[in-house]
Amino acid sequence: MDSEDDMQDAWGGESDGEFYDSNEEEDDEGSSDKEEADYGFDDFAADDGAPSSRMPQANYTILSEKDIRQRQEEAIATITNFLSVSKTDAGILLRHFKWSVSKVNDEWFADEESVRRSVGLVRPTRPEYQRRSRGRGQEMRCTICFETHSFSSISRMKAEPACGHFFCDVCWTGYIHTAINDGPGCLTLRCADPSCGAAIGEDMVLSLVCTDDRTKYNRYLLRSYVEDNRKAKWCPAPGCEYAVLGFVPGVGASYDIVCKCSFNFCWNCLEEAHRPVDCGTVKKWIRKNSAESENMNWILANSKPCPKCKRPIEKNQGCMHITCTPPCKFEFCWLCLGAWTDHGERTGGFYACNRYEAAKQEGVYDEADRRRDMAKNSLERYTHYYERWATNESSRAKAHTDLQQMQAVQIEKLSDKQCQPVSQLKFVTEAWLQIVECRRVLKWTYAYGYYLPDQEDAKKQFFEYLQGEAEAGLERLHQCAEKDLHVFLDGEPGQATFNDFRTKLAGLTSVTRTYFENLVRALENGLTDVVQGPLRRS
Amino acid sequence: MLDVSRVQKELVEIERDKNLSGVSIAICEDDLARMRGTITGPVGTPYEGGIFSVDIHLPSAYPFEPPKMQFITKVWHPNVSSQNGAICLDILKDQWSPALTLKTALLSLQALLSTPEPDDPQDAVVAQQYLRDYATFVGTARYWTETFAKRGSLGLKEKVAKLVEMGFSEDASKSALESCGGDENGALEKLCSG
Repeated sequence: MDSEDDMQDAWGGESDGEFYDSNEEEDDEGSSDKEEADYGFDDFAADDGAPSSRMPQANYTILSEKDIRQRQEEAIATITNFLSVSKTDAGILLRHFKWSVSKVNDEWFADEESVRRSVGLVRPTRPEYQRRSRGRGQEMRCTICFETHSFSSISRMKAEPACGHFFCDVCWTGYIHTAINDGPGCLTLRCADPSCGAAIGEDMVLSLVCTDDRTKYNRYLLRSYVEDNRKAKWCPAPGCEYAVLGFVPGVGASYDIVCKCSFNFCWNCLEEAHRPVDCGTVKKWIRKNSAESENMNWILANSKPCPKCKRPIEKNQGCMHITCTPPCKFEFCWLCLGAWTDHGERTGGFYACNRYEAAKQEGVYDEADRRRDMAKNSLERYTHYYERWATNESSRAKAHTDLQQMQAVQIEKLSDKQCQPVSQLKFVTEAWLQIVECRRVLKWTYAYGYYLPDQEDAKKQFFEYLQGEAEAGLERLHQCAEKDLHVFLDGEPGQATFNDFRTKLAGLTSVTRTYFENLVRALENGLTDVVQGPLRRS
Repeated sequence: MLDVSRVQKELVEIERDKNLSGVSIAICEDDLARMRGTITGPVGTPYEGGIFSVDIHLPSAYPFEPPKMQFITKVWHPNVSSQNGAICLDILKDQWSPALTLKTALLSLQALLSTPEPDDPQDAVVAQQYLRDYATFVGTARYWTETFAKRGSLGLKEKVAKLVEMGFSEDASKSALESCGGDENGALEKLCSG
């Protein structure tokens, strides 16, 4: 692995921002130019992969809402030019053909009339009332509200559908309002006349509706660009407004997407990025978590473990004198969990336990203690993995917050204190990015471990050894990035020691990265080649 | 908000040519959102001679949302539930347009009686019978029309007697029948709902 390159990146202050394009590159095309060769993936053909983390191999583009709007506008401008139609009509056509400019072009030039028919694109017609013969009075009835309107008031109305059908503004507004509140179907709204079918364009909709509806409509309009497109997806992170476009999974390539919001997710299952485990295992694990957590809750709420054999016991009737089922047969007090032999008149009678009452008042039975004691035989194994999985998840979340704090405030501060340009401090951010990434990988190794077959003992031991090493390495990096850094944040500028710190942190980052990349690959390969031992740190 | 003025105008219009169109509407107890429509069975179908009651409920966004309609009279028809009278008709769902009216909707129901669409059934049992054994279907549909949809089949006295037999008082049965224009199913429903 090219650890040297990494070191240089960190030391030389050369931006390798494209690796982390989520954070700084303002455009995303960058993510497509990643030099994969550097990381030597070529050796791993099958479901190998990119090193754990940061480096999605596939090409894709991250779009902000602004980018999406811009692309929509560009598409509309192109169609307006090519087809010599109005912007509104271009919008109607594009929405119908899922925002594919080439599809609109192809279909249109193959058979314009048939496209017009199916899309509902009618050539502007004179309004209905102007077509009425003079002899039939000077007013018309709106066939929705059944009110009559004079021609002069009609001529002042805003609603002018291309088909010319007449309904009063109030009714058009009500019609459109209902459609907008009915969902994205409002984007392909047709004339209210049941026999007409003319498409109602954006301009007419927006000219009539209230601000709320306008906001909703524009929202649907924006979303349609992503949601109608099979090659686009929204980033699933809560509150994230970026979309991923044009992802094409390569053969054996990673499905990991790095969003600009810094969330990593799997294109395939839209769960958080989960290498080295596969989508199926993730689904199984998540389902297990929710099912088991219910079991756990029930057990915690309704049972206590036998103080001797730890099997959970549900007390469903009778007195406080519990006798555990054979072979244990331990007799104990339900309240204080002490041996029944200690009970009797001294404790306030067989049916009361003042030991419990007294201890409770002293706070001996606190909740945390109780919970810890509650781990059951049958659940212990699962709990073991789950707890560690969850702990790493919360560490990851914490590290992520720290990273953001680092980017927002600390870097600036550090730059002041140490008289270093911000561009020279990238190695700090990088270290934190690596920490976040490693926590994520580490977390999933626990799901991996849980599903590792029991009988493969050697594998299991080796896995645990690797996991332990990974954990230790990460701790070193975390410690350095957190504790050592504080010295420089609070202390005086010291050029020499700061350079030492830089060397140390960048080195640790690089070493840890390499280790985790190898770990992920090894686990994805089912630990086959690792067992022969190539996964020693180089 | 329900467009009261439009609904009133619709009612006037329906009233004006109810003899010609074969559809009519009565309002239930001063609630403009609840009505009872009636349609006559189309000539030349197993429903001929029957009078079918339809429960109509107007959502507050009417006419921008379709009226909810359901047969009260039992009907043997592929697109009507033989259990509860629920109707499968596109214009009562996504094909509704505010330019349609209660009258056009009832007329569409009438048309649906003449031309069932067994490929898009509401009641799978009926639809299957319609497709596999048309003669039996016609027989059953006609029998249901005779039994449930013919007002003249029983005199008022017999109807009252029938209801009294079910355990309602004679006065209540009489007034219920009167308020429903002699429709025993309607009267029964009214009595049951209190």
